Amino acid sequence: MAPETTCTPTEYRPYGAEIKETRPYSPCRAACPAHTDVQAYVGLIAQGKYTEAFEVITSVNPIASVCSMICHHPCEQSCRRCGVDEPLAVRHLKRFAIEKSRDYRRAKRKLVQKTKGKSIGIVGSGPSGLTAARDLANLGYNVTIYERHPVLGGMLASAIPPYRLPREVLKEDIDDVVTKGIEVKTNFEVGRDAKLDDLMKKHDAVLIAIGLSLSRSLNIPGVDGPGVLLAIPFLEDVAFGRKPELGEKVLVIGGGNVAMDVARSARRLGVQNVEMVCLENEQEIPAWKWEVDEAVEEAIKINYRWGPKAIKREGDMVKGLEVTKVLSVFDANKRFAPTFDNNVTTLLEADTIIITIGQMSNLSFLKDSAVKVDERGRVEWNPATQMSSARNVFVAGEVVTGPGSAIAAVANGHRSAIAMHLFLQGESIEGKLPVQEKDTIAQMPSEVVEKISKEQRMTVRHLAPEVRVKTMDHFEEGYTEKEALEEAGRCRGCGGGAVVDQKKCMACLTCLRVCPYGAPVVEAFSTIRPEYCQACGLCAPECPAQAISMVSYDVREIRNTLPAVIGTVDPRRQEPVIVALLCTHHAGLLGLDLPKNVCSVPVHCTSRIDILDMLKAFESGADGVAVVRCGDGKCKYKDIAPRVNARVKRVQDLLGMLKIEPGRVEILSATSTNGDNPYLLACADFSERVKKIGLRVGR
Amino acid sequence: MIVGSQKPIEEIWNMVKDFKKVLVFGCNTCVAICHAGGEKEAETIASLIKMKASQEGKSMVVNNMGVMRHCEPEYFEPVMDEVKKYDLVLSTACGVGVNFLSDRTGTIPVYPGINTSFYGAVEAPGVFKELCAGCGNCILHMTGGICPVARCAKTLMNGPCGGTNKGKCEISKDVDCAWYLIVESIKALSTLDKHSEVIPPRNWSTSRDGGPRRISLEHIREYEEKEAAKTETAGGKK
Repeated sequence: MAPETTCTPTEYRPYGAEIKETRPYSPCRAACPAHTDVQAYVGLIAQGKYTEAFEVITSVNPIASVCSMICHHPCEQSCRRCGVDEPLAVRHLKRFAIEKSRDYRRAKRKLVQKTKGKSIGIVGSGPSGLTAARDLANLGYNVTIYERHPVLGGMLASAIPPYRLPREVLKEDIDDVVTKGIEVKTNFEVGRDAKLDDLMKKHDAVLIAIGLSLSRSLNIPGVDGPGVLLAIPFLEDVAFGRKPELGEKVLVIGGGNVAMDVARSARRLGVQNVEMVCLENEQEIPAWKWEVDEAVEEAIKINYRWGPKAIKREGDMVKGLEVTKVLSVFDANKRFAPTFDNNVTTLLEADTIIITIGQMSNLSFLKDSAVKVDERGRVEWNPATQMSSARNVFVAGEVVTGPGSAIAAVANGHRSAIAMHLFLQGESIEGKLPVQEKDTIAQMPSEVVEKISKEQRMTVRHLAPEVRVKTMDHFEEGYTEKEALEEAGRCRGCGGGAVVDQKKCMACLTCLRVCPYGAPVVEAFSTIRPEYCQACGLCAPECPAQAISMVSYDVREIRNTLPAVIGTVDPRRQEPVIVALLCTHHAGLLGLDLPKNVCSVPVHCTSRIDILDMLKAFESGADGVAVVRCGDGKCKYKDIAPRVNARVKRVQDLLGMLKIEPGRVEILSATSTNGDNPYLLACADFSERVKKIGLRVGR
Repeated sequence: MIVGSQKPIEEIWNMVKDFKKVLVFGCNTCVAICHAGGEKEAETIASLIKMKASQEGKSMVVNNMGVMRHCEPEYFEPVMDEVKKYDLVLSTACGVGVNFLSDRTGTIPVYPGINTSFYGAVEAPGVFKELCAGCGNCILHMTGGICPVARCAKTLMNGPCGGTNKGKCEISKDVDCAWYLIVESIKALSTLDKHSEVIPPRNWSTSRDGGPRRISLEHIREYEEKEAAKTETAGGKK
């Protein structure tokens, strides 16, 4: 069997998955280390297809629930809406889709058959280890995970404070993986409970995915002694519900995201007075901006641009940290090379100091093993093969890549899984691992930005700072369904737009004339520039050669499904059979309960409705067809209405030739009213009008 | 390009009603550009036929398909096996395509789904205008780039006639007088003196009057025939 080249074999592939691989990625997808198809799943959420969205997310991300809570979401930072107003709230949408799919995901958990007859040991169960475990289990290997803590998850379970990541959320992800039939050995520390050599003998291949579990300390006077803690042991105490001993004034040294976790956890342990000190200024601080903002909301003071010099003590008791003014943090080449003004010092008072300046791996278990460690104490490895110096020992995640994000560790876990699979199938690895850098759709040209209406990002409610610091509970509310639909509707569908079949296109210029965004360029054939295309779908139904398809949806889907949607038309019916093609670009359809005689066909925007879709409805026995646009000038696209009106008019003309009353097809607008759902009103009124025209006989 | 327009469904129905398996066969070049017979319109016509059949209580299989051009065999040869599964082909190509395909379908009739109208240009989206009549002897250099054969109702070689009226033709106030346009054009080109030259009576044998026309390019045919002969010889030796 040829090894799979994709990261994970999965049952669900969103529409257009194959063609997307041949085209530049949307910036959101390219920015995601795991290349999650953000456009696809946000689009599915917008259509109310939550479990499909879940499938897209989890196809590449086994810790999707975790990421829905803690991901630093590079997708959002690269979102092309940034140039218009604000980025899509991708992480919140992910959370919404996953929470909506909870029962679905639980029901689909199942054992995977062990078909390969080979066994793999994975040391560490953080993001990279879990990812590799899932991929390799899916491929049919016998997988055993060794975890030194009592629970799986690595740092996710043992260091990330619960106020950011509720443990029941993590458990969902872990259960997905473990139920595939993975042997789990917790409280098992390699080096203590077994030697690496033992694992290498027991398994056909071993993966070291131990992350960075040791806190770095500072080599400054006064560091040794009570009152000075290291970040990881502190966070482990927090994670496992133990109460670390803190004074009344806690000072956290460091400005990274872990330092934020430490400081904010300290607040939640009841310390009123928590301060941080870091080398960097507000712009340079490595922690994410939202972490800094939330910490400040929680009354944590950040002392910027001070470097630790000595811990001052009175007897055993910590008095504070003597700090030196920082002049600069980075050199001209942007390398970390802090400079200080030793003449300016001050004392930051504290009775507890927590050092959070970075982490490293605990590699003691590699001593005397075949896995070499270099002179700087790092595991020797080949990034092209994910292999260590020992033939059947692979590496994944932060132990080799250094500190990064959970999702980056997931991506690296996938690479290791593919590498191990190739190795165990006797194949060479080099050159076969996925390429991380992808071609990306360029930013939106300014002339396109001008045509996009601004829509405010849906905010997410947080518990008030004074409330949330009282507990370790999660403090961020999720979206309601309405909010999620509205937010998903803000997506411009980058990378999901129009594609021209060059074999059919005869360069007739129709698309060029139709496109509101100037996306097509017509030479020997038309090319639709993805950086301009907004995936509105207006062009495809206009193309006289049917040469235009859409990456993100099947342009024939409506007419292909209509016969089944309409079903058998009862000749003795009392009410007309109405097909309502409804714009779903808004949350307006939420809870819409149409009368039985109205078959609703949701469509992303009426721009996508072809005259052939309307004709197909009549072909299939409909008595009337309503095209219902969103009302109140809410259309997400430009210049849609006149084209759609013209299509409806054409259908009326064609029906006229068949002596079918033109009034059987209408374009309607769902204009909001005080009472009923506007879609319902539009459809009900239309149904009455069609009833007056009469039911079609001998269609 | 060749411009056509769809036939009314009633006329099409009368052509197709007695057949059981009908293929509406689109052409994706000229007639697609004028939204008369490309793949899209072929599907539209197929849909109308299906509805009509249903109204008339006839059971009939109607499908549609399209190729880039009906006027070069290489384009439709790959689908000929499929085409031959039908008992009628309703071609929405121009008359050229209907003729050409008809020669190649043996006992399967090929009927026209559109009326082939003229050689024209896309004056504006959705507006197609006749500008050439294919007379076989072009004189546009003498007439300021405006063709009196195609655009003068009388095909006058020396105009305008007495029916010109403020730039319009006597046949309709919506029709420009070609000779008015010609005079304006050659004035703009500073060659008004040409207008005093009498264009002699034309030899219309290059046009339809000379019977069906055919052009065979010696330099291409010579090569092609040699190649064909070679293949035959090679086949003979086998």
